[in-house]
Amino acid sequence: MRDQLGRSCIQVFLAGILWCCLAAAAMAHASLTGVVPADGAVVSVPPKTLSLSFSEPVSPLVLRLILPDGQARTLESFVLGDRTLEISAPGDLAAGTHVLAWRVVSEDGHPVAGSTIFSIGAPSSAPQVDREAIDWPVRAELWLSRIAIYIGLFFGIGGLFAVRWLIPGGADGLPIIRAATLLGMVATTLSLGLQGLDALGAPLSNLMDRTAWRAGLDTSFGLTVMVLLAAFLLAIITSSRSLVVSRAASLAALVAGSGALALSGHASSAAPQWLMRPAVFVHGLTIAVWIGALPPLAYALRQGGDLGRQALGCFSRLIPFCVAALTLAGLLLALVQVEEFGALFSTAYGNVLLAKMALLAALFLVVVINRWVFTKPVERGEGDATRRLGRAVVVETMIVLAVFAVAATWRFTPPPRAMALAAAQPASIHIHSDKAMAEVTFTPGRAGPVEVSAIILAPDFSPFTPKEVTFVLSNPKSGIEPMRRRAALQADGSWRASDVVVPLAGQWRLRVDILISDFELVRLQDDVEIAP
Amino acid sequence: MLRTTLATVAALALGTSAAFAHVSLQLKDAPVGSTYRAIFQVPHGCEGKPTNLVRVQIPEGVIAVKPQPKAGWTLEKIKGTYAKSYDYYGTPTGEGVKEVVWSGGNLGDDEYDEFVLRVYLTKDLKAGETLHFPVVQECPDGVAERWIEIPAEGQSDDDLELPAPGVKLLEAASGH
Ligand SMILES: [Cu+2]
Repeated sequence: MRDQLGRSCIQVFLAGILWCCLAAAAMAHASLTGVVPADGAVVSVPPKTLSLSFSEPVSPLVLRLILPDGQARTLESFVLGDRTLEISAPGDLAAGTHVLAWRVVSEDGHPVAGSTIFSIGAPSSAPQVDREAIDWPVRAELWLSRIAIYIGLFFGIGGLFAVRWLIPGGADGLPIIRAATLLGMVATTLSLGLQGLDALGAPLSNLMDRTAWRAGLDTSFGLTVMVLLAAFLLAIITSSRSLVVSRAASLAALVAGSGALALSGHASSAAPQWLMRPAVFVHGLTIAVWIGALPPLAYALRQGGDLGRQALGCFSRLIPFCVAALTLAGLLLALVQVEEFGALFSTAYGNVLLAKMALLAALFLVVVINRWVFTKPVERGEGDATRRLGRAVVVETMIVLAVFAVAATWRFTPPPRAMALAAAQPASIHIHSDKAMAEVTFTPGRAGPVEVSAIILAPDFSPFTPKEVTFVLSNPKSGIEPMRRRAALQADGSWRASDVVVPLAGQWRLRVDILISDFELVRLQDDVEIAP
Repeated sequence: MLRTTLATVAALALGTSAAFAHVSLQLKDAPVGSTYRAIFQVPHGCEGKPTNLVRVQIPEGVIAVKPQPKAGWTLEKIKGTYAKSYDYYGTPTGEGVKEVVWSGGNLGDDEYDEFVLRVYLTKDLKAGETLHFPVVQECPDGVAERWIEIPAEGQSDDDLELPAPGVKLLEAASGH
């Protein structure tokens, strides 16, 4: 490469000297007259050769092929014939968008450069760039606090509800229920500060900082925390009151706690909200009723006798409806969030959902065994079966904890719906000069095929219609020389080019050439950030 | 590599007679306060297409414009008022040709031609500066080549993609 550049430099130098010796000082800029594959073309098979034709003889200085993964390869094997440069393409070209960046020297030793794009198979978007570093301690704490909140909400508040309404015999479980509620309350409080740290990108050591807590309160999670805290408080102070008060309070805490979940989070922010928020609410409420009843049920069964049998009867009559509603709401949420089947495997969100479904399958297996193998003998009063059922309920509880642990990781995985939405966001820039200004939008604002549109305004913001608008894109950092695309005037007065492929993410230089009249050309230039 | 070098050298050696890529003025300098023959050299068409129309904008300070007719081309002179009145051998001149258009011709991409104007460079023009004549070549299908960029302060023609042809202005000939 160095060698070739060196020779090219000598050529340029020789050319310069020769030129000076010639009497006429002519200016000569070569211009590109043809490319194979054509600029913007999509070809089905990788081309064997790439060719560039110029308006006059040239010799190449640098020829680079930028591959779909962003790597650049220098092309050294070419044949120069007449005014056409035949370049041998590498044999191992992958599918996706390629950029051929060329820099040649025309007869006067003046370098001329440009880029042309072609895609094999279909235009590709760029590979993901490294995301910002993850603060693992904050993340781990957030995860643990999220699990503790689930324990508090489902075992604590849900447990209290079960003891008061469904399984009066499970009152022996009250100490555990209180402990769970207390744990949930502490975790909820703590999670506010952690949420703030996460939002600010601050380390765990800043947890004592007031700004972190303020930031946490300002996120959508702030309201959830407030309502949850109220629900936990209500559950704790009424847990030992008279039956009537405690009954009312446990129901209120259950509704408030489940409602708090619907106030923030990925699912609640999805459209349509009138459907998603109630779905989150129903999902939370039914989990609390079902899961909350498990420990009191285990205690009641351990007591044995009529109380245990009564409790089991009540539980096995009510819970199937609960689980049906729970499953329905859960499926609805999953459908909206994942959007398409493939995302189950290709996204972290989908993987978490798969793991959760696997755990749920195991859980339902235990539930079914409980229901059809143990319940009848227990109701008949067989002591052996009662103890086995008690153990099975403990196993159920363990699996539920694992489900919480898995579900808590969703805090960190944007659902495919949200990722698709973020990727479709347009990128916009406003370029201003004393002669004209342009409001340019890339839709979507990510690498791959995009539509570029511009609204051209006079400096005083009055609209005017130029004769021609051309977008010129280059990426000096990646060695991509200017690519030009003529825009067409639309009925709404904007200028649009829809045959644009941005092959790489990152900062691109956009120049808008505005031909105001036959003889007046304004060039506006600025940088635009293209997302991966 | 030797072949490329030879090709470059050969191309250069032929350079004197070979086509120039830009539209340019054949006479590179002229004194102010004199008549100037502006010979526009059109070396090729637009992106391989033939040229059907050549449009030249007359810069301020250039008066008494007389285009040379060409066989096969329709000549059009667009007149207007100047920014100020100029002295033309004692006659105050406030209006005249501001744009010249040769249209209806067919100059192939692989052909060369010249388009000529006879103009008077007034003494109001500054010697030492370069005077630019923006030129537009129009081809079929709405394609055009526009040599209309004028270098800003500190720029040279080489910095521009589409430099307008220019003539270097010299001091007025003394003793006139
Ligand atoms: Cu502006």
